[in-house]
Amino acid sequence: MTMGYVLLQNLRRNPLRTALTATAFALPMAVFVIAISIVLNLAIMSQDLAKQLRAAVHHRVSFTNFLPEGMRSRIQALDQGKNRLTAVCGMRWFGGRVPGAQNIVQSLAADHDTFPIVYPDVAMSEHEIAEWNRERRACVVGKLIAEQYGWKVGSQFSLQSSIPPYQELEFVCVKIVELSSRQSVMYFRRDYLENSLEALGAGPGGCNVFWIRARDAESLLALQRDIDAAFANSPDETKTEDENAFIAGFIQAAGNIPGLMQMLAVVVVVILGLVGGNTMMMSLRERMAELAVFKAIGFHSLRVFRLVLTESVILAIGGAAAGVIPVWALLNLIPLSVPGRGPSMPLTASWQGAAGSLFIAALIGFAAGLWPAYQAMRLKTVNALRNIGE
Amino acid sequence: MALPLKYHTRYLLVHRATTLLTVLVVAVVVGTFTWMSGFAAALGETLSVAGDPQKMVVVRRGSESEFNSALSMEDFNRLRQLEEIARDPETGEQLLSGEMLVQLQLPRRSDGGKTLANVAVRGLREVGAKVHRDVKIAGRFPGAGQREVIVGAAAARQFVGLEVGKSIALGYGGDRAFQIVGIFTAEGGPLESEIWGNVDTLMNAYNRNGYSSANLLFSTSVDAKALAARLEGPQIQLSGFTESEYWQKQAANIRVYLGFAYALVAFMFAAAVFAIANTMYATVAGRTREIAMLRTIGFRPPHILAGFLLESVLLCLLGGILGCLLCQAWLSMGGAMKDMYGATTFSTLAFVIRLTPMTVLFALLSVCIIGVLGAIFPARRAARIEVVTALRQT
Repeated sequence: MTMGYVLLQNLRRNPLRTALTATAFALPMAVFVIAISIVLNLAIMSQDLAKQLRAAVHHRVSFTNFLPEGMRSRIQALDQGKNRLTAVCGMRWFGGRVPGAQNIVQSLAADHDTFPIVYPDVAMSEHEIAEWNRERRACVVGKLIAEQYGWKVGSQFSLQSSIPPYQELEFVCVKIVELSSRQSVMYFRRDYLENSLEALGAGPGGCNVFWIRARDAESLLALQRDIDAAFANSPDETKTEDENAFIAGFIQAAGNIPGLMQMLAVVVVVILGLVGGNTMMMSLRERMAELAVFKAIGFHSLRVFRLVLTESVILAIGGAAAGVIPVWALLNLIPLSVPGRGPSMPLTASWQGAAGSLFIAALIGFAAGLWPAYQAMRLKTVNALRNIGE
Repeated sequence: MALPLKYHTRYLLVHRATTLLTVLVVAVVVGTFTWMSGFAAALGETLSVAGDPQKMVVVRRGSESEFNSALSMEDFNRLRQLEEIARDPETGEQLLSGEMLVQLQLPRRSDGGKTLANVAVRGLREVGAKVHRDVKIAGRFPGAGQREVIVGAAAARQFVGLEVGKSIALGYGGDRAFQIVGIFTAEGGPLESEIWGNVDTLMNAYNRNGYSSANLLFSTSVDAKALAARLEGPQIQLSGFTESEYWQKQAANIRVYLGFAYALVAFMFAAAVFAIANTMYATVAGRTREIAMLRTIGFRPPHILAGFLLESVLLCLLGGILGCLLCQAWLSMGGAMKDMYGATTFSTLAFVIRLTPMTVLFALLSVCIIGVLGAIFPARRAARIEVVTALRQT
């Protein structure tokens, strides 16, 4: 009689209980895999962004205050030899909406000469860069926006700004951006925007943010310090934050979804621990006599311990898989995304998320089985056998 | 004759470990649920307070909030011509308030000042206090030409450095000290999350020469829709929203998140049903002979059914009460202060999550449903036990 056979028989003995426990594991684990995927995706995104060595220079008081045009050359002048600084790209919020539509398209005007250098992760091909430089109305559009409005490369459309002077501009899409952190934002050329501002007598406009890109992590830190020091005690005091710090504010603003998800994940783990522990206690109580027989016929205590513990772990993994795998498959088929200002949070389930969930489930099964297994091991054979027949 | 209640309570006590574990499962699920409904209720309450039916927020056409709206003096003068605007019954003053909005970043108290929130700073004149008629000021309205502000009660509670007598740095360069001379309340509405100052002083500090928006009270005889249409019309070309329209829009994104979170909690509720079913099946299986005994001494199957349902509901109610207590404990430990950004204003709405009697009642009701759903099949099995066979079992 092998261990595996005993285990299988034990799980099949009370199929109802096995099914109920497995379901009670599956449902919260479905929640867990969603929660952990969101948290993981954000962690991966922030790691990727950290590699991009970008920082945002904005007005100390608020990034709704505009910084003067000339600041770009003054930032560049801080590193004449370009030993530390790769490029500076000025940006100004446009926040246009398709005429008649309710929602704002997150749209920003960017310096066209430096945009591809500061954002190599947007992955513009040489052809696309050539188009971007040639066509003044050129824009690059995040995938989610493009899908929402049905825009493709070559599409022409117009947007009306939601900030003064509320001008309407026409654009031509030259690229759809796939990069996960840029799927719900659109960039277009700032010289085009400045011209329209001047035409309305509202220029020069200035920038909300100057994005800088550094050669290495050390330079990035040094540049942050130097830039803020250079503009201290001027009317345009700056605050320079790396990209992750800059985005953190938006994530907080969007309701702190990662925080909520972490809380839900903890709740799920607690629930599963309790459910698993309860099941094992119950099945142990019913099986006292049988375990006593095992011990009487020479099963080692440690083997009984292992038997109960393994059963608990198998039940946990099996139940969790029933919850995790369908959700994982579903999210791979239909990726959802959490909309909002700032970076969108694509809710795609990574295999890391799924594997991590199963691993956590196994740990919970292990922890939940420990006490019942210990009790089974400590079982006094004589006492337990005496209970038979009562 | 129904089974005595004591029969069930004793049983819950006998199998302490199982009872405790099951109660805890329910408690954790209910605690999470209660926190979220408390959150939704607090948010809804804050926004619904801002529902003065006579008040209208006027912004530039195409702008999505007061913050990125700009009204020129001509725009404002055109508004002045509207005879729909109500007048102060005593002074005859037109109840139209030109206002300027900017944002200030302030550290949150809830996390010890680690993160910053965008707090709205609103410039207005004394007529503004009459237009926003829910507002009650303790202290005095900031004087004209004085670098003074008053702060909303929710802002004062939730952000660092907003005590009366202290100064905050305002202005385009963030370099002008404004003294806090009072606190105001707005019956818990969103205005309480703001900081108010004199509009002329603030315009000067922020180098502005026009208003952001206008707020007005219209006469009771005027239809809000007709007024909004007139504002949109060719003569004025602005956008007007009733106050509740304007603020409800701010909750749009938060509602999406809450809906998402509720869906996840629904899964956990379902899991709790299965956990209860598991426990109840085990208890029925362990008591087969006893149930047969009860049948022989005269209890009928419906009594047995009702008895087990009752036992399960008792179990769940214990969990529900514990869950509410857990939630309250979490809130008392500082988890109650919350702020969210408006969908289009991008400035913060501060509120306090409270467990209202309604929330608790709703939680306990849903717990009873879990109890019944989880026990219905085990209880039916108990009620259908074959007396003779069961008694013969060893």
